[in-house]
Amino acid sequence: MDINNTDDIAPIAILMDELKAEDVQLRLNAVHRMNTIALALGPERTREELVPFLHESVEDEDEVLLAIGDELGKGFEEYVGGPKYAHVLLGPLEVLSAVEETLVRDKATESITKVAECLSQQQVEMYYIPLLTRLSRGEWFTSRTSAAALYAPVYAKASPQIKEEMRKGFAVLASDDTPMVRRAAAKSLGKFAETLAKEHILSDALPVYRKLASDDQDSVRLLTVEDLIAIAKKLEPTEVKDQLLAQIRQSASDKSWRVRFMIANHFVPLAEVVGEYIVKEEMVNAFVQLLKDNEAEVRTAGAGQIPGFAKLIDRDTILAKLVPCVRDLAHDTSQHVRASLANHISGLAPLLGKDLTVEHLLPLFLHLLKDDFPDVRLNIIGKLELVNTVIGIERLSQTLLPAIVELAEDKSWRVREAIIDYIPLLAKQLGRPFVDENLRNLCIAWLGDNVYSIRHAAAVNLKKLIEVFGVEWSRNNIVPQVLAMRSHPNYSFRMTTVMTISTIAPSLDLETISGPVLEVLTALITDPIPNIRFNVAKSLEDLATTYGTTPAGKTVASERIVPALQGLLNDTDADVRYYAGRALESTLRTINA
Amino acid sequence: MPSDLDNQIAQLLRCEPISEAQVKQLCLKAREILIEEGNVQVVDAPVTLCGDIHGQFWDMMELFKLGGFCPDTNYLFMGDFVDRGYYSVETFLLLLAYKVRYPDRITLIRGNHESRQITQVYGFYDECQRKYGSANVWRYCCEVFDYLALAAIVDGRVFCVHGGLSPNLSAIDQIRVIDRKQEVPHDGPMCDLLWSDPDDIQGWGLSPRGAGFLFGGDITKSFAHNNAIDLIARAHQLAMEGFKLMFDQSLVTVWSAPNYCYRCGNVASILELDEHLGQEYKVFRHAPSDVRSVPAKRPPAEYFL
Repeated sequence: MDINNTDDIAPIAILMDELKAEDVQLRLNAVHRMNTIALALGPERTREELVPFLHESVEDEDEVLLAIGDELGKGFEEYVGGPKYAHVLLGPLEVLSAVEETLVRDKATESITKVAECLSQQQVEMYYIPLLTRLSRGEWFTSRTSAAALYAPVYAKASPQIKEEMRKGFAVLASDDTPMVRRAAAKSLGKFAETLAKEHILSDALPVYRKLASDDQDSVRLLTVEDLIAIAKKLEPTEVKDQLLAQIRQSASDKSWRVRFMIANHFVPLAEVVGEYIVKEEMVNAFVQLLKDNEAEVRTAGAGQIPGFAKLIDRDTILAKLVPCVRDLAHDTSQHVRASLANHISGLAPLLGKDLTVEHLLPLFLHLLKDDFPDVRLNIIGKLELVNTVIGIERLSQTLLPAIVELAEDKSWRVREAIIDYIPLLAKQLGRPFVDENLRNLCIAWLGDNVYSIRHAAAVNLKKLIEVFGVEWSRNNIVPQVLAMRSHPNYSFRMTTVMTISTIAPSLDLETISGPVLEVLTALITDPIPNIRFNVAKSLEDLATTYGTTPAGKTVASERIVPALQGLLNDTDADVRYYAGRALESTLRTINA
Repeated sequence: MPSDLDNQIAQLLRCEPISEAQVKQLCLKAREILIEEGNVQVVDAPVTLCGDIHGQFWDMMELFKLGGFCPDTNYLFMGDFVDRGYYSVETFLLLLAYKVRYPDRITLIRGNHESRQITQVYGFYDECQRKYGSANVWRYCCEVFDYLALAAIVDGRVFCVHGGLSPNLSAIDQIRVIDRKQEVPHDGPMCDLLWSDPDDIQGWGLSPRGAGFLFGGDITKSFAHNNAIDLIARAHQLAMEGFKLMFDQSLVTVWSAPNYCYRCGNVASILELDEHLGQEYKVFRHAPSDVRSVPAKRPPAEYFL
């Protein structure tokens, strides 16, 4: 026993030493190793020594307190003897939920919520409820703000009598003098309401909600939007109409734009729970108002909800009410509003169907594609596929292709890059004849772009096109054009040839490689510019390692690539010699494998 | 060793500083290479000329995305790598790592900010202190500054310098005899090369900067004639359009810091000289915020807390 004891004392002694260490990092490490130490101590001593010790360490740095709060919520009850002792963890967590630093308090309440999951009804009533009462009546606002979040987790486990007290207790917090506490109550009301029975929603949650929703401070009011959704979810449509309609109207036209922003930002979830009647009679007009709001932030948030909300209303209403707003937003003065619209407008296409999309949306797409702000153009391009499925590729290409071709020469290279990224997808849908006729020349032309990133993207694009249409197609339609630049008087074009060969090589076949490709590369070995020569070496290395694994490939590599690289080993330029040496080494390794 | 250096380049390309010990090694290697270079480094075309960068790391990445990355593209940076921007450390160390890894592919010449005095006022010193917790890295870098070439000449036809000309120098050969391995002096030919500005005047004028001189078109043209050069390329002055040609295209200012100090609203440029010395100016804008704000900065050093 005594011998065991000395062994057991060591860990807690070390922990306590480290928890008292000068260095914050050491204390933090000790806290993160707490479960190991608890395991060594056994449940009883963890309860009787470690937990009380933590209780006393609350004067520490916030960083350490945060770590303690976190560790106690990570299933720590298993180290104190299982769920039947879980309540002992509430002690230190209660102290942590009253400290000044918000991060620590939030972590502590989060951990209390987790501990609450494994508490029995008896434990809840004996330990949790008194804790909740103490925090709710705390003198300093910090503990009262923490309390607000702690009602919902255990409400279902409490007896009817205690439930009643809890509802009253929460109502008291909601009318607290300090806005911080009222904000906390507004933030937690939704969750709390979800646990309440229907009758208590009407008798308790609604009055609390109404009070918070008409608070003086807009920072409180804006938090009630999510409560509104949670409460409406529990009610029948007729009850929503009787009980909440006034509040919905009030929030949607609140004098603070931050509240209107919250409504706009949550419009779809809200509309989904208020029932068909209100959507039709009230929400459509409220939404139109928000889309015409004076504040760009509100309009931006509203634009993001357009397709989601449109799903809830019929096609005629979309046409009569939403489409005019969409048209206005496409010409909005704020680029952020237009960008948000551009990102979401294509979601209307499936709802409107082919003919109406062509009639009403296509002109707006074209307009937004020409927007001055690159993000607007990008957002439209990124979502074209959705439109494609509705109106068909033929229609899309007829109307939008000219605009896309125009964007292919956009001043901003990032817009050009976005178009290039979109080409393989477009090619897959449009098919080979169309690409040959309309897009192939464009794809080749990008190789001559004056921005390096575009030339690089162009090479990657060609590789993807070859994967779509096959190597046979590339033999006449891609490879000759790429190789043609080898004799361009400007070295950067010759460089593009070499770089593109490296990029597309894996998608070609040995016949093409050993024919025209190698012919060009071996010719460029004597290029006057060293940069070309060492890129030829790199490119030969890529070819050898990709194709040198088959017998036919090995022959090509040893008969054509190896001698070419050996020639470069005596180059006048150090970088050429380096890359040739490296390439030769990996080529030999590949063909000898 | 090469693979270590390649790793450091990859790390710096992500805007993550390398360790103090690695900086020390890198600076030692760089000095060995730079000491072999002449005051007027001879450079072969094709090469891409770049002006001031001033620690705007993400904008320098835009530059590389436009012009291609080292070593595939040859570069000549005409000084003022550090100060003012947020990432002088990463910017200069990346350029230096390129220099050590590919000495023939990149040329760095000295700007007036590559100096102990200036960097203590305009940010590089403070940034080293903040990122490494001591001034050691700053000291290693300053020792490298003393070894940087003062000018460069591309294919014997394009003269590149950070600031401009000096009344004490009529021939390029006179630059070659300067003892450059020192802190930038307050006056004299070495100072003038790094500080002077062209101006629409005749002859020489006093510089409002308090160092170097103003020089006119006549001075520029006779210098070009006497030294058989076609163009003087220099940096040192903000050009709102990215570059500015003067004196019948005999001189150009190339500026490579877009939206200078993150607020000037200017575009930047590079000058690509092809193998026939054909000139192409390529203009670029500052990095979009989603690219720029990639969180790559390490927290400040521990001992600084």
